[in-house]
Amino acid sequence: MSDDVKLKQDLKRLIVERLRLEGLTPEKIADDAPLFGDGLGLDSVDALELVVGLEQEYGIVIKSHEIDKTIFTSVDTLASFVQSARGGGVQGAPPSATGAPDKHQKHDEHEEGHGRPRSA
Amino acid sequence: MNVLHRVVITGLGVVAGPDCGTEALGNSLGAATMKTVVVDDRQGYHVPGSSRRAVLTTGVDLSAWVPPAVARRMSPPSRLAVAATQMALVQSGLAGAVGGLSTGVVLSSSLGPVTSTEQLLDVARRDGPQAVSPFAFAESVANAAAGQVAIFTKAQGPNLTIVQREAGSLTAVGRGAALIASGQVDRVLAGTVDEMPPLLHALIGRFDALAKPDETGAEIARPFDARRNGFVVAEGSVVVVLEREDLARGRGARILGRIRGFAGAFDATAPRLGWGGGSAALAGALDRMLKSAGCRASDVTRIVSGASGAVAGDRIEADVLKAVWAGAPLPTILVPKAYVGQYGGGFLAGAVLSVSGGSFGKTPGFESADPALGIQPFAGGPLTPAPLSLFTTIGSGGSASWLLVESA
Amino acid sequence: MKKATAGPAAPESGGAGRRVVVTGLGAVTAAGWGVGPLNDWLQTGRTAIGPFTRIDHHLQRTHVAGEVPPPPAGQARLFARWRRYSNTDRFALFAAVEAAAAARLPASLHDRASGVFFGSSTGGLFESEQFYSQLVGHSTDVANRSFLASHHLSAPAEAVARQFGVSGPVETLSSACASAGLAIEQALRSVRSGEVDIAFAGGADCLALTTYSGFNALRAMDAQPCRPFRADRQGMSLGEGGAVLVLEDLEHALARGVTPLAEVLGAGSTCDATHMTAPHEAGQFAAEAMRSAIADAGLTAGDIGYINAHATGTPLNDAAEYAAMRLVFGERTSDVPVEATKSVLGHLLGAAGAVEAVVTVLGLMHRVVHPTAGDGPCDPATPLTLVSGRPRAVPDLRYAISSSLGFGGANAAVLLGRWMPT
Repeated sequence: MSDDVKLKQDLKRLIVERLRLEGLTPEKIADDAPLFGDGLGLDSVDALELVVGLEQEYGIVIKSHEIDKTIFTSVDTLASFVQSARGGGVQGAPPSATGAPDKHQKHDEHEEGHGRPRSA
Repeated sequence: MNVLHRVVITGLGVVAGPDCGTEALGNSLGAATMKTVVVDDRQGYHVPGSSRRAVLTTGVDLSAWVPPAVARRMSPPSRLAVAATQMALVQSGLAGAVGGLSTGVVLSSSLGPVTSTEQLLDVARRDGPQAVSPFAFAESVANAAAGQVAIFTKAQGPNLTIVQREAGSLTAVGRGAALIASGQVDRVLAGTVDEMPPLLHALIGRFDALAKPDETGAEIARPFDARRNGFVVAEGSVVVVLEREDLARGRGARILGRIRGFAGAFDATAPRLGWGGGSAALAGALDRMLKSAGCRASDVTRIVSGASGAVAGDRIEADVLKAVWAGAPLPTILVPKAYVGQYGGGFLAGAVLSVSGGSFGKTPGFESADPALGIQPFAGGPLTPAPLSLFTTIGSGGSASWLLVESA
Repeated sequence: MKKATAGPAAPESGGAGRRVVVTGLGAVTAAGWGVGPLNDWLQTGRTAIGPFTRIDHHLQRTHVAGEVPPPPAGQARLFARWRRYSNTDRFALFAAVEAAAAARLPASLHDRASGVFFGSSTGGLFESEQFYSQLVGHSTDVANRSFLASHHLSAPAEAVARQFGVSGPVETLSSACASAGLAIEQALRSVRSGEVDIAFAGGADCLALTTYSGFNALRAMDAQPCRPFRADRQGMSLGEGGAVLVLEDLEHALARGVTPLAEVLGAGSTCDATHMTAPHEAGQFAAEAMRSAIADAGLTAGDIGYINAHATGTPLNDAAEYAAMRLVFGERTSDVPVEATKSVLGHLLGAAGAVEAVVTVLGLMHRVVHPTAGDGPCDPATPLTLVSGRPRAVPDLRYAISSSLGFGGANAAVLLGRWMPT
């Protein structure tokens, strides 16, 4: 199975587990299905929960200004984002999907950035 | 002072430990044995030799009341409170019909949410603060349950979360009733919720508050008894529908009781984690409450006492009642916490049920009265509707709360 | 003594009944211990939000907060009595003692009909976190349970009640950011109805790992001190402290020979009932809380001369709150001076409504609207009159509203008036 397919499978599993979508199996989420709004009906807090899940699972740091609707449009867009955040395309991406997050990694908010945090 | 409206109870929703619904609770009260289970101690919070049992909701399936899609982000207290609210609304005939500014929510919690905070701190410690779950934080606030109840019912009126230890459930009903009496809202979903995860159970035990295992290993709460040595804790949620009496009667609702009076008071001699000796002042407050309601102690046909088996707690409760009754014999005293434990609303539910009559078995755990207290709780049997009941709770830390309820 | 009341302790509404005044103020904030230091700081237009040491934050996303500085040196005896209490308890006690002294209350209120109505979201959480850390980090018999003695959210109110021998109702509301606003409302109704003659209305909260991490998990905090209503706002800042107002029946106060500082004219509360963390974007329920407070006071929106806004500095809150103000004040919205106290002190969570009510009373007393810290233009989407640099004199200021819009959807509004003897 290609890394790209595996990544999308893992992302679907992460979505179901992290967001506690009982009764939904990962296979049922289409790669291009809308995740927010009318799709799975997820909201801003779900997005933030998913962000934490992604950071922990893939050892990446997601700045607040990067959290916007375009990343979360679908599993496809999410996969592209994770791949670029991991510093490579499908080839050469770090093999472990559970790259141990470095708990000492700094997560300071940038002051630049145009996006706005989503939550209240 | 303007009391514009009389307030009645038209629905009662109960998740009291394993008992889901008023019928199940009624059966437990009739059977008169407390349903405890062993608390999971695999995390090692419990010190050796400590109490291990509690009345828990393990195994209770709330999905019929709170659909999984809705429960998805809810912590145990939120789920319990939403379920109890829905049960109360169904019973009152108002399910789906209470949205808007004219419905308020007043919930209490004695001990607050714990699971979410514990989870949050575990993750922060293990993986760093950046790993903390937004879900966990959102549900770690004390008013998560009240907020979820409001979302679920679309109740847009005042939304209050009262934290007043054991006295909170009666205060929630009293303050909820006041919102209606003054005309601010037409109805209130009032009640209480508490969860009892292993961490909380273990910590309460560390303060020697729990009923100690006896020679057979049984942990028994013995309210007013000579051998009492602590209480048994429970979890759950109980919610009542409070309504303007004229509106309730107008729609043919069944009335479970009418709120006749409420008062709150404080014993400033109480240490932070126990009970004090200020029974005289508390008795004075209870006396004034009765007078304000146009009643005398002798009018009270039944006392539903919040005594729990706590050594000092039951003593001051007895002292206050005896002071108010001033040597006259006390009426029947029901002690729901002997049947359903302390926290989670079992006391409030038992009290409300008793107003309409029913059957309470012999008070569990009670064998012989502490002579210093001289109180004999209910010996069991059928109960007629009580024309006037006094619900009482003197909580640890000093707060006391009393509710006067008449059958209507 | 306590007046007899019929039926449940039903609050007054529509302005009928006893008048309720503020006779004392107390505060502990990032500006210091006392209303004096707070008032001084409010003149400067500077923020008191900055670096802090209450918790280790080197792994957090943000590194600022409105932390209470160390207590003043001259109060050693007072603090010695309170050394076993939590930080939150101490904030509450100091503020209550200060307020009681200002109100010239007797040392014991045991023989008076009095109560305590408080807001808190953390209680002794800071100390409980330390206990938990010991508990899970070491063997079970090492963790010191005395850290838990003030754990309860009700602990600060109970500490105040014990301090003064209060014998009436002692209640704590915990509705996140709206807690103290709701507590002031409860105190108002309790005094109005005759349930009590004197009420300590207030709140206290302490910075804690749970809340600091939690708001960062929600990406709700600004790396800089918060900039409510500004175009470039990025989020909130947390603060800590305690504040108390002594609310009293007017006749009772006058009989004691005490001059009121302000009057509590009305209050209102609602719930968005929409989302657990985000405000209803159209602001209609926040608006209704304000309208309800105005109606309760027997006034109209046109009477309000100063708004102490909730104004956390998050994009969502400030936008929703602006929408709410538009619904209430219409075209006047951009003209009524607005103060965003959280820009100076941070968000005190369960104590916010109380400290902001204290600030509002100070404004009414001195007929000023204090500056909102920070600079830069207002967001064109929320065009409000913010005061900058130094307080703006408002000589005819009579009525002000202080609003608190909470996590979980609870909205509280309190309407305060300058003391105007008739």
